[in-house]
Order: sequence, then structure tokens, then C-alpha cells
Amino acid sequence: MRRYIVRRLIHMVITLFAMMTIMFFMFRLLPGDPTMTMISSVMYPKAQEAMRAQFGLDKPLIEQYLIYLKNYSTLNFGYSFHSSREVSELLSGRIVNTLVLILPSMIVAYGLGALLGALLGWYRGGRFETSVVFVATALQAAPVFWLGMLAILLFSINLGWFPPGHLVTPGMFPDQDLRMYVSADFLHHLALPFLVHTAYQICFPLLLMRSSMLATIGEDFVEFARIKGLRERKILFGHAARNSLLPVATTIPMILSWALAGSVVIETVFSWPGLGKLMIEGVQRSDFPVVQAAFFLIAVLTIIGTFTADLLYGLLDPRIVYD
Amino acid sequence: MSTQAGSKSAVPHVLDIRDLCVRFRTKRGIADALDHVSLSIPKSASVGLVGESGCGKSTLMKAAIDVLAENAEVTAGSVYYHDLDLLAAPAETVRQKRWAGISMITQSALNALNPVKKVGDQIVEAIRAHRNMSRKDAWARAEEMLQLVGVDPKRAREYPHQFSGGMRQRAIIAMSLVLSPDLVLADEPTTSLDVIVQDQIFRKIRSLQEELGFSLLLVTHDLGVVIENCDRIAVMYAGQVVEEGPVDQVVNTPFHPYTLGLKNSLPRIDAVSEPIAIPGGPPDPIEMPKGCRFAPRCPFAQDACRQTKPELVSVGAGHRAACIRQAEIPGLRAEAAKIGTWAKVAVKSEEVVE
Repeated sequence: MRRYIVRRLIHMVITLFAMMTIMFFMFRLLPGDPTMTMISSVMYPKAQEAMRAQFGLDKPLIEQYLIYLKNYSTLNFGYSFHSSREVSELLSGRIVNTLVLILPSMIVAYGLGALLGALLGWYRGGRFETSVVFVATALQAAPVFWLGMLAILLFSINLGWFPPGHLVTPGMFPDQDLRMYVSADFLHHLALPFLVHTAYQICFPLLLMRSSMLATIGEDFVEFARIKGLRERKILFGHAARNSLLPVATTIPMILSWALAGSVVIETVFSWPGLGKLMIEGVQRSDFPVVQAAFFLIAVLTIIGTFTADLLYGLLDPRIVYD
Repeated sequence: MSTQAGSKSAVPHVLDIRDLCVRFRTKRGIADALDHVSLSIPKSASVGLVGESGCGKSTLMKAAIDVLAENAEVTAGSVYYHDLDLLAAPAETVRQKRWAGISMITQSALNALNPVKKVGDQIVEAIRAHRNMSRKDAWARAEEMLQLVGVDPKRAREYPHQFSGGMRQRAIIAMSLVLSPDLVLADEPTTSLDVIVQDQIFRKIRSLQEELGFSLLLVTHDLGVVIENCDRIAVMYAGQVVEEGPVDQVVNTPFHPYTLGLKNSLPRIDAVSEPIAIPGGPPDPIEMPKGCRFAPRCPFAQDACRQTKPELVSVGAGHRAACIRQAEIPGLRAEAAKIGTWAKVAVKSEEVVE
């Protein structure tokens, strides 16, 4: 077990290194000059030159790369080209906003989705099942931004129940301190993006759990549990759903990283100042330090998520042995 | 011993199946799985149920514990466990009888055990579904049972895949006896094991039966296993019981040609004759023959056999058979032991196919 963890940690470092390298060159090979967004080269060519030197963009690419690696190894993410603020400071505020939206939503989606899927599989063959499967498939096929826009149209504009976007009512919390995240105003703003995201994300675990249940129910040990005279509840949750959970659990890291990386869509629709929005802004302005750091953060979260899920899978299924 | 299954007699029956008819809805049509099957299991007795694959043995066993598949339909009959009709009783009443009253040793222990739960926990959950016992006490009881069947109790903490095939089967036996049921159903309990372990398992079951006094219904396709382990035998063919009675009577003086054929299939130590197989296969359960269901494969079948459905009639003390020529059978036994007798049927059945 310890050897496995050490080996996985080494793998994680290698993965991260590869990802950082690709990212570094990818952005620099894209068209666009970071200084362009601030200074017109036509009007002040000298000033632009000075700025390039200040950012270190005049150095050879390979030298820039080495500086980048050196800085990242000490968790120094540098300064934003655009706002001149420290990238780590910019990111830390944004990542909290993203996590506060995505994590609870994913927990509810997987928890509720797995439970509903288990019940659908157990009480299979009804009209209720057919309609839920239809709705879930349709929801899953619909784009999130479209669902978000529909929700805003219905709940914000027509019914006026929820605000259409932003973290809080502008001006309420000028300092953006922690008290903001526990305020009623914040929860009121969170409700709609949370509901849309959860409604979208619940479909996959629900459908997967249902089909996994249908396969498990036919297993001998489920019939044997009934022969043993266990109560139906116990057969459902202790045996059928318990074993059906295994394939669903493996998808958690993958879906979680997709959700984090894909948060950009829901954040844009709801003007939610999260990591995804920061990335979009960074890419538009060729703000390399911000984009690199944001992608790096998503990569780290994904790798940690995958690793945790692998360990979790070993706990769920004793047949899996790490060595 | 009762001469008529279904009638009340001096010997109390643990299980009394009366006139049971079960059908399966399949894509091809209605499959006739059990046709007016009656079978009684006296207290502390061992009853062997033999027949080819698909003759309805497993269906009968599942009916006896009321866990028939969803597409099965009981069209007639009853299954009495003591005085309780399991097919008519409320679900919760039946649940309470399962395992505490009727337990089961399954064909494949590997599939019957949940792969992600500890073996000990799976025994504990069976105990706690029926007894108001603390987890700790239940665990101690599970360990005690494992010890009794010859499995190191420490291994209760292991998972099924860490057990060998024989150990898994022993664990299932331990589980089946943990609540001291008075009836144990054993469905081909040793098919997946090699002969030496097979023998050990049966010896264990026999000694436990002597010690604990439960009744046993042993389902198998192996007549030899029944001869060694059972008091009574019921021979099934195509969803019907065709002959039943005390093991020695049925085996020494069979009255049904199918039993005669089964007896021929036993390998003999004196090696005077090779085992003889019964030619052909069982009939399609969706289109059962009209008269005697064995007639198409029977060397002694006459036109009357194909028209009239034979009833089970008494042919000796506690011995019944369903053959309209049963009176002539004693004279035909010698002929039935010859390979040529059966070869003729093989030729005939091939002609029919053409």
C-alpha cells in the first residue's frame, strides 16, 4: 500500500510536469501579444518594447520556460500582465467561488443521483421509471448554458424568485470576506446556478446507477440475500445498491474534473466570478501568468481527485489490491 | 412413512408440497415447469431429488422457499411448511420462515456470497435478520459455526475471493445451519468441487444432520450421491415426479423406465457392463408430449403411453411410480439393463427427426 502511494505520487508529479510544459508552449504558440491589450504598438512602439522587457517576453522561449519551471517549483505564480496583481491572490478568491458552487452541487448530484438510480433500478418497469429516464436523457443532452438561460428566463425574469447572476447584490460586501459566503444574500444568488448545475450533473450518475442496478439485481447473491430472509430494504441498500455503486464511484474523479474545468460555462451564464471566468478573461487578454496558473490549479485538483477516487475504490471493493 | 403424499399421516412433515403447478412466461410461449408435483419431506429425513438438467428440480426448490423468478406463475397447488402455506402467507411471515426455518446450500457458493462483504458479516446479517442479537454475539456465533464446519474462525474477517472453493462451500453450510433451521435445501451443493472435497462436504453434512436433526432436500443429477446420502428419493422427469419411495426400493426395484435408465447410467465397480445413456433429450417445456412425457425416449412405450397421462400409483410400501405398464415392469428389468434395448430407441428417435 505504501509503495503504491509513493509510486502514484511520482506519477502525479510527472503528469503535472508534462501538463505544465504543454500549457506553456501552447499559449505562446497561439497568435496574440499580451502587451497588445494595454499598449498599441502603432502608437507607442518604445513603450511596448519596455513592457515586453519588463514581463520578460523578450528573452528566448527556452529561457522563459526555465524561469517558469523554477518559479512554479516554489509555488511562485508571478504577476498578472493585465492587472499587475499577484496571480496567487487573484486565483485564491476565484477558486473559492468556483468550489463553493461546484462541490456541493456535485455532492448532491452524485448522492441524490445514485439514490434515485438505485430506486429506479429496484422498482423497475413502471411508467415512472420510463418518464424519469426520458427526462434525464433529455436534460443530459441539453447544453448547460441553454438550461441556465432558460432558468434565468423563468425563475429570475418571469417569476422573480432568484437574482439572475453574481455572487451577492453588488455593494453589499465590498471586502469579499468570509462572512459573505454565509449570508442569506449569497445563498439566494447561489440557488439558481446551483440548481441548474445539479439538475444537469445528476443525470449521469442516475442513469449509470440504474443500469448498474439492473445488472446487479440478476446476480445470485441478491437472490441469496432474499433466501436468507433479509428485509427488502436491507437487500436493496446492503447488497444490490452497495455493489452497483462500484462502477458509479469510478466515474467521480473524471466527472468532477470535467465539472471544474467546465465551470466556465455556468459561471459565464450566471456572471459568477469563479476560476472559469478568470480563465476566459485571461485567454482573451493573453494574460499568460493567470491562464497558466488557472490551468495548473485545475490540473492539480483533477490529479488529486483521481488519486483519492482510486483509494476510495479500493475501500469499496476489497478485491482490488494495491501493490 | 406416508404412502400418499398430500394426505395427513402419523409422521409429521416438515415440508409438504401438494399438486404444485408452475409455468414460466417466456418469449417463445408458456413453459410448463412443474406439473402437479407432490413431495413430502418427513421430519429429520433426507430426501433426494434427481433428474436431468431442466426437469424442474431447481424450480421446485425455489418454490419451496418462495423465491420463484418474476416470470414464474403458480397456477395450482400449495407448499406447506409445517402448517403454513408459504404461497398464500403474507410476505413478512414468509420472510421470517426463510433461513430461520428453511435454509439453503446453493450450487455455487462463489456467486451466492457477496464479493464485497466479509464472510463473517454475511453470516452475521443472516442471524440478525431473524434474531434480536448484538453484533458482537452474532459474530461469535458465526465464528462458532465456521469452526463446526472446519473453517478457521479467524477467516471470518476475510472476503469470499480469499477462500478456496471447498472453504466457500463450507462457509455456506455454516451459514445455512447458523439459525438451526429444521429444513435445509441443498441444490447440487458440490457440483463445482473436485470429488475428494465433494466427499468431505457430504460427510460433513451427514454428521451435522445426525447431530442437529434437520431434514434435508438434496437436489442433484447424480443418483450415486442420493444412494449414499438419502432415505427417500423422488425422480423427476420433464416437470413431473415419475417415481418416489425409499431409496433402496426405488434403486433396487425401479418401476419407471426412466429410473431404470438412470440406474443404467451409474458407473459400476464390477465393470460387467458399461454405463448406458438414455438416448435423446428431455422434451421442449413449451410443447410437452400429450401422454407420458417420457414415451418418446422409452424403449417400452406403446401407443397407449402416447395417449394416456399416467398417474402416480402405489407399487410397494411407500413406493409410487407413474407408468401405465408398471405391472409389467418387473418382467422388463432384465431387458432394460441391456444396451441394445436403448439403442433401438435411439434409432427410432432419429427416424422421427428425419
